[in-house]
Parts: sequence; structure tokens; C-alpha cells
Amino acid sequence: MMTQTRPTDPEELVAAMASGDSGLALSAFYTNYASTVLALLTKMLGSPAEAEELLQDVFVELWRRASQFDCKRGSVIAWVVTVARSRALDALRSRKRRYGDRQFEYSEGDALVTERKRPDVMASSTRWHQALRQAFKRLDAEQRAVLDLSYFRGMSHGQIADKLNLPVGTVKSRILAGMRELRAVLPIIHRAMKA
Amino acid sequence: MNEQQERAELLAALHAAGAASEEDDRELEALLADDPSLAEVVKDFHDSIAALASSFDPLETSSRTLGKIQKKIEKEKGGVLNRLRGWLGKS
Repeated sequence: MMTQTRPTDPEELVAAMASGDSGLALSAFYTNYASTVLALLTKMLGSPAEAEELLQDVFVELWRRASQFDCKRGSVIAWVVTVARSRALDALRSRKRRYGDRQFEYSEGDALVTERKRPDVMASSTRWHQALRQAFKRLDAEQRAVLDLSYFRGMSHGQIADKLNLPVGTVKSRILAGMRELRAVLPIIHRAMKA
Repeated sequence: MNEQQERAELLAALHAAGAASEEDDRELEALLADDPSLAEVVKDFHDSIAALASSFDPLETSSRTLGKIQKKIEKEKGGVLNRLRGWLGKS
């Protein structure tokens, strides 16, 4: 009798999904990433109900695009986050077309700090999340602001410069400085992943 | 670090942060073709920003969501199979 074994390595899970597995592999993949993706979507959209709805589309798209995953371009979590972010930005743009700019007022540091207590925050905010947040304290407020607007709001450097009333060169420098800080904490992140 | 390397690093950072213009991305593509080692910088930046984006406290998902996702996928698989059957039937 053949027994189905459940792959656990992230890249093996993606490979199994790429070969059409929408059972065990998808289920394990979902278990690994859904709560993180939901947190990101909720953060970006500001609406738990909309985020939960979009979560479905994100995982269908991840399954559909599994064969395109290339580990040379980034880790599995980077791919997952990139797809989720892209769908959330689409949803924000569509919302903006419908309702205009009214609800998009920016308050500095909004997206990068989550201190709010929600009943659905999982008790297992793991060492991984704690390590990450500790590491990201290296970013100063100016770096956080530009990365927030670019990554979580989908703004180009020109739009950010307009929004914050800064020269484009300053915005680019802050993005580069922030990304260098983030890159410097990668070893800490990798250690946290192994812990 | 020379001027071109600094420019390449800036473009990689803008790209990973989602702040690059189309022109920036085209320039980065051209630099990547010339210098494959730049891909490692782009990958590191992607992994770093992804770590930032995954640092929020995880939220519990509805117990029904996975089932809904699997249903959508099965429907999609069925659609592909039906199109294939239709195509084979015609030929």
C-alpha cells in the first residue's frame, strides 16, 4: 500500500503544489503561512473582513503560480509576501478608484508598528516575530516612513517625495539607508528562523 | 564601492522596496545582465523586506478558509480538464 508523506520543507511544499497537489501540500503550506499573510493583508487593508476574503485569492494565486517560484530570486516567504502585497495593493487601488483619496491619509509609522491588541492575534507570537521586531528597531522613523509608503502603500519615490514634501534624492537615500539596515539584520533573521 | 556599484545598490533597494519607477527597473535589469553578482543583493533586499512584512503578529484565520480555497482550486482544475476534454473532442 502506498502512503502519502507530507513534505515539510517550504521549497518541497511549493514543488508539490506546482505538480498539482491541492491537498496535503497546500494544506501544510497554508498552515505555515496563512496567519502571517492575514496579518499583512489586515495591516495593509485595515479591514479584517476584506483581508480574510483576499486571503483566499492570495492562496489560490500562490497555488496557481507555484511552478514560477524560483529560489534564486528569494526565499519562499519572500515570494508569499510579494504575492500577498501585490494583491493587497490591487485591492487598495480598486478601493481608491471607488472612494477617492479620503481614507488614505497617512500617519507616520502607522504600518510598521503593531501594538494594538486584537482578540484574533495568535497567542503564539513566536520568537521569530519577536526577533524580527527587535531587529527592525534599527530603522529610524524617517526610514520607516519611506519604507511604509513604498512597500505597504505602493508609492513610487516621486509620489513619496510629493507626499512628504521632500526632494526625490532624499527619499531615495532614506530608502537605501533603510534597506541597508534591513539587510544588516538578515543574519539575525536567519538565526531566528532556525531557532 | 565604485559609483556604478552604488547606483546598482540604490536601484536594487528601490526595486525591493517597491518604490522603483519603470525606468529604474529597466536600468536594474540591464545592470543585472552585466553583473550577475548583483542578483544576490536584490535577493537579500527582497528577503529583508519580506521579513519586515512578515513581522506583524500572526492572526488566526477562519477554520473554513482553507476549505474555500481548495474548492476554488478544484473548480479551476475542473475547468482546465473540461476545456482539455472539449479540445480533444473536437480534434
